[in-house]
Amino acid sequence: MSTLTAAPALTPAAYVPPSAQFRRRMIWLGSCALLMVLGGVYLKFKPWMLFTDFHHLVRLGGEMLPPNLAMLWHKPALFKTIGETVAMSFLGTLLGGAVAFVLAFFASRNTAPHRLLRAFTRLGFGLERATPNFVVLLVLFIAFGYGPFAAMLALALGSVGLFGKLFADAIEQADPGPCESVASVGATRLQVIRYAIIPQILPSVVANSFYAFDVNLRAAIALGVYGGGGIGFELQLAMKVLRYPDVLALILFIIVLITGMERVSDFVRRRLIQSSESLK
Amino acid sequence: MLVPLVIVSAWLCQVRFSGLWHDLGKGLEVIRFFFPPDWSSLREMAGPALVTVLLAALATPLGVLLSLGFGLAGARNIAPPWLRTTARALIGVERALPEIIVLLLLVAALGVGPFPGVIALAIGSVGMLGKLFADAIEEIDPKVLESVSCVGATRWQVIRHAVLPEVMPAFLANSIFRFEVNIRASVLLGAVGAGGIGFELSKAMSLLEYERAMMAVLVTLLLVFGAERVSDWLRAKVMDGGRLA
Repeated sequence: MSTLTAAPALTPAAYVPPSAQFRRRMIWLGSCALLMVLGGVYLKFKPWMLFTDFHHLVRLGGEMLPPNLAMLWHKPALFKTIGETVAMSFLGTLLGGAVAFVLAFFASRNTAPHRLLRAFTRLGFGLERATPNFVVLLVLFIAFGYGPFAAMLALALGSVGLFGKLFADAIEQADPGPCESVASVGATRLQVIRYAIIPQILPSVVANSFYAFDVNLRAAIALGVYGGGGIGFELQLAMKVLRYPDVLALILFIIVLITGMERVSDFVRRRLIQSSESLK
Repeated sequence: MLVPLVIVSAWLCQVRFSGLWHDLGKGLEVIRFFFPPDWSSLREMAGPALVTVLLAALATPLGVLLSLGFGLAGARNIAPPWLRTTARALIGVERALPEIIVLLLLVAALGVGPFPGVIALAIGSVGMLGKLFADAIEEIDPKVLESVSCVGATRWQVIRHAVLPEVMPAFLANSIFRFEVNIRASVLLGAVGAGGIGFELSKAMSLLEYERAMMAVLVTLLLVFGAERVSDWLRAKVMDGGRLA
């Protein structure tokens, strides 16, 4: 048996009450389970649909096979579409990162010109992070029209919130020693930032940029579905006209694209780290 | 090297500067439509907001269980090599697939409703949680596993008495974080057919009821902020004591 406690086995008649901790845990688990069941009833969530409606899933799978991979050479515009998606996330990351880089100095305790300005910028970052990307996109569509340009701007705005917080945290964690020593020889606030803080945060800025690019590439595909252009839009079109072999082919392209870009950004990052180390 | 890349991608994104100021003005004009938010619709937003939270709340435990299976199957010290390779490959494929695509496929097969939404979110958790769990399990000190198995424990007993206690804090913390992510994702999925506040928002936008849409945005912000606070608090508690209750 798996139980290693031998004491209850010696006196089988004696009833050992469950420990207080065990009871607390069971009450906690039980109430969670009850809440989940009530929630499921409210949603009219039917778990048995997985079995009763499984044949629909099988049929859909059957309709998608074999994937229409031939569309890659029958439709050369597809390459441009894939390029659009990558370009959206690249420019969005770059633009958002640049804006966030500047704003981050207003949002960190050690570089902000005023306390109120810091609170204000931090609040802005928080609000921006909480707003779903596609809400921003819907507003931008009205201003700039459908297409990759609006989606790129939505990604850039979305990156500002994420980057801003990460950069500001990096700045706040910067070692104050170099800042003080630069300031003590008469450097202005801008010179302190340039010569003491930026060299310290640069590695984290670069690492976070690559991370944000990966996040934005996925987001670019999702925004495409809402009308932002790129391969996501293509996928949604194929879905609407029920061309399921095309859908499966596009999904495969997306998987290849994302894993491929992950490899590329990994490679570039490693090269960047190597070259910066050889400079030292 | 960066400059040509920027130029090419700007061309691909159809960036244009000629009408930019005009469009920006238009954008600011549009934002004015959203104010003041339609406070009277707050009551109608409560139901959809609850649906969004429930979608995430039902999907998270399902996704965690699914990921636990994948995590165990993808750990070198638990699973045989063929199983590990398969599980890791599936996790990788899932991570490359945005949730919205999974949902679109499920909606195409099963129709709109909460069921495809919950399943899409649960499957969506596997890419992230499965990898994190598998990595956490692989990092367990081999001495712990050996000492349990050398007193005669079967594979399942090793998992129950050595693996699970070791990874529990990281496991709980990551699951709670995933709940926060799922709240955001469930707003997004709502807009394409899972229901909830996301659906309410996209409906109001397409009916040009901007003040109502603003209300939906405010409710969304409240949900996301609330989820962030709750998840931060729970995670701090888990990391502090290693258990919830």
